Amino acid sequence: MSFVSYAMILAGGLGSRLCLLSEKRAKPAVPFGGKYRIIDFTLSNAVNSGIFDVGILTQYRPLSLRDHIGIGRPWDLDRKRGGVELLQPFQGWRDTDWYRGTADAVWQNWLEVEERNAEHLLVLSGDHVYRMDYRPLIEAHLARGAEATIATFEVPREQASQFGVVRVDGAGWITGFLEKPQDPPSGRISMGVYVFHTGVLREALEQDSGRKSAHDFGKDILPALVERGRVLAHPVPDYWQDIGTLDSYYGANMDLLSREPAFPLEDPRWPIFTPSTENPPARLGPRARVRSSIVTHGTIVNGTVEHSILFPGAVVEEGAVVRGSIVMGDSWIGPNAVVDRSILDKRVHVGRGAVIGHGDATRPNRACPEHLNSGLTIVGKAARIPEGITIGRNARIAPDVAEEDFPGGNVPSGEALERPKGGADGKSTAPREARV
Amino acid sequence: MNPPILVLILAGARGDRLHALGRLRTASALPYGGKYRVIDFALSNCVHSGLYRIGVLTQYAPLSLHGHIGIGRAWDLDRRDGGIRLLPAYVRQRETNWYRGTADALVQNRNVIEDAQARHILVISGDLVAKVDFARLIERHEQRGAALTIVTAPSPAGARDGRRAVRTDGGGRVLGMPDEASEPGSDVPASIYLFQARELRARLEEPGLGPDLVHDVVEPMIAEGLPVVAQPHDGYWRQMDSIEAYYEASMELLAPYPALNLHDPDWLIYTPSEDRAPAIVAGDGDAAGCLMAHGCRVEGTVRRSILFPGVHVSPGAVVEDSIVMHDTRVLDGARVSRAIVDKAVRIGKEAHVGGGDAGRPNREYPADLASGLAVIGKRAEIPAGSRVGPNTLVDIGVRESDFAGREAASGSVVRAREKQR
Repeated sequence: MSFVSYAMILAGGLGSRLCLLSEKRAKPAVPFGGKYRIIDFTLSNAVNSGIFDVGILTQYRPLSLRDHIGIGRPWDLDRKRGGVELLQPFQGWRDTDWYRGTADAVWQNWLEVEERNAEHLLVLSGDHVYRMDYRPLIEAHLARGAEATIATFEVPREQASQFGVVRVDGAGWITGFLEKPQDPPSGRISMGVYVFHTGVLREALEQDSGRKSAHDFGKDILPALVERGRVLAHPVPDYWQDIGTLDSYYGANMDLLSREPAFPLEDPRWPIFTPSTENPPARLGPRARVRSSIVTHGTIVNGTVEHSILFPGAVVEEGAVVRGSIVMGDSWIGPNAVVDRSILDKRVHVGRGAVIGHGDATRPNRACPEHLNSGLTIVGKAARIPEGITIGRNARIAPDVAEEDFPGGNVPSGEALERPKGGADGKSTAPREARV
Repeated sequence: MNPPILVLILAGARGDRLHALGRLRTASALPYGGKYRVIDFALSNCVHSGLYRIGVLTQYAPLSLHGHIGIGRAWDLDRRDGGIRLLPAYVRQRETNWYRGTADALVQNRNVIEDAQARHILVISGDLVAKVDFARLIERHEQRGAALTIVTAPSPAGARDGRRAVRTDGGGRVLGMPDEASEPGSDVPASIYLFQARELRARLEEPGLGPDLVHDVVEPMIAEGLPVVAQPHDGYWRQMDSIEAYYEASMELLAPYPALNLHDPDWLIYTPSEDRAPAIVAGDGDAAGCLMAHGCRVEGTVRRSILFPGVHVSPGAVVEDSIVMHDTRVLDGARVSRAIVDKAVRIGKEAHVGGGDAGRPNREYPADLASGLAVIGKRAEIPAGSRVGPNTLVDIGVRESDFAGREAASGSVVRAREKQR
């Protein structure tokens, strides 16, 4: 059979530009859009495209991803033939190593590809938000006899330097591939969605594995294949969003709230699947005020919520105001508290009357100035914010901090509050929660 | 080791007093609380009580129920040992019959009862909304050495619906069930019966046994002086056997501190989930005092209402004091007040459904539709600009052309044209 039936999803990403959000979970496991994790989009695209045999390459903090995916039931991937498998680095007889890069991850699991006798292989990324039918991509790849086909997307040229940029000739063949170029020649970028001829990819991976390189698809494999002249570009017009930075993460979430969202989460023809939590419907109290927001099963709102996204189990008590914020699962916003332009991870506890996201937005964060400088404040998982204090903008509160970790009370803009190190004060630095 | 228990859920009855809500489904399959079906309570109670051997007796319009339960995955009832079995009436070589009553349904499933080798058999009605700890019930039943434990609940306020009171002595022993309608507040059977299996099996073998479980099995056991005890249920309990009972039990969920807490993490109610996006309040949308499920999109105003998955409320539309089921569309400028709107209904632009003085009871069903509710059947189309008064029933599948003029006056019934012939 020459059609493509196996997909590998690259999901190892450290996601350092997401700051705290990916400190304890892989980027594909970061919550998104009120009930999803980012990898749900790629997984749903795969099964909606009829691909029910998926390997997920993970390395960094895989536990939350493993919990999320389980045996793949929400995606109908709990199957006798095919299904989903998490491919972790493992110890072998001869070669034992962590994945050295995305290409190396595929190479270390090449047995999985070989076993399937597939002539072509689909390679996807687990950290993008988009809807895509992979079948036309595969058809084009087969029809044109390409060695590799790359799905491409158009972004404004000034943004292209964060991505792999392709140069394409008149017939659609790629003549150049530049990974994160300083001065991008165009805005045509690689979406991180590829089909490879298995034999050609095998050769390229094998050569790369013995070489000193980053062992990366974008930096090493694709440029090498492009040299051979049979790499096709397949333009995909719709919506595609890389969740690379905090700002893009926040922006993509806020986009969901517009009146005519470019990316509607609800589309019965192309549903996005995710494990569901056992929660009653969202409960909006008699005095709740909810405006242009997403509310999920298990949320309870008795205060005001504007232009925000509430995940399952988030509670907004009376008199509290949540504005322009993302509040993840089981967080609690106490009475009369204010949360403004902030991202609260799971199980954050905001004490009565506390204010998060206040004042001056011009001072970038002390600890991660490149990524936390647009005025967002971010609060790590299970942090407890004391009653009545004020936290500025561009502030970062570490996961698991407790009330007593705020010695000075207020946290000014641009500040980073860390959890005190263990030892002298007898506090353990071990994570209080093993899983995210 | 817990004593082996077989649970039989009676879910086959036709809800005569549910009218358009109960014609395509049995009461146990009624959507409830924004995402559940009524039977989810019985099933969740079972699994929370550690009871994993369950038969569901179905007969009337069983498809929605069968589809809902599937292999029981949502309740962890897809099990190697025990699990859930759907027990519809079936054709036999001799003596083929529909279930003629609750006792007859058990008689026809004697083989299931025998195969289970249970020590006790819990027979419950599938149309109850209640959280009941059956494990505690079983424990008390065993301690008291009862042949039968009847769970009782206070008759809902205002109900004079023919339920019969359970009379007990000081120690909880049942003396009788007087042959008269109960007063509101008195103890009535909660449609939960726990039998000693040996006793029930013997009775089901009796030739000439009547068809009704209460009349022909429970009452004779009391009359014969067997140890029959009452166990009062002290929590929330409602039976979804009429439109008004259903509406009230639904609206009670919207109280600031509802008597039935759906958020209790120790006793969650399970149901198969739907793959829909979270609810969104968009544009000028505004919602308060409501339950809202996944897939809802509110661009109008919603007050004191329950929205099931996929309901859209368009700009300028108002939904208040209403229950709106899956995928119904309330179009621009429409107004829905004190209404129960079934699935996939289309409320046309500027249409007004319900609201206003209760006026006169429904012409055809005065006993069941008198408190001012409007009931709109599944897939009905309400014409743009029309008026549907209180105590009105719009039947399943009514088309715009079935409306004579633009008004369905208070107390009227609108039917689809084919059906009228």
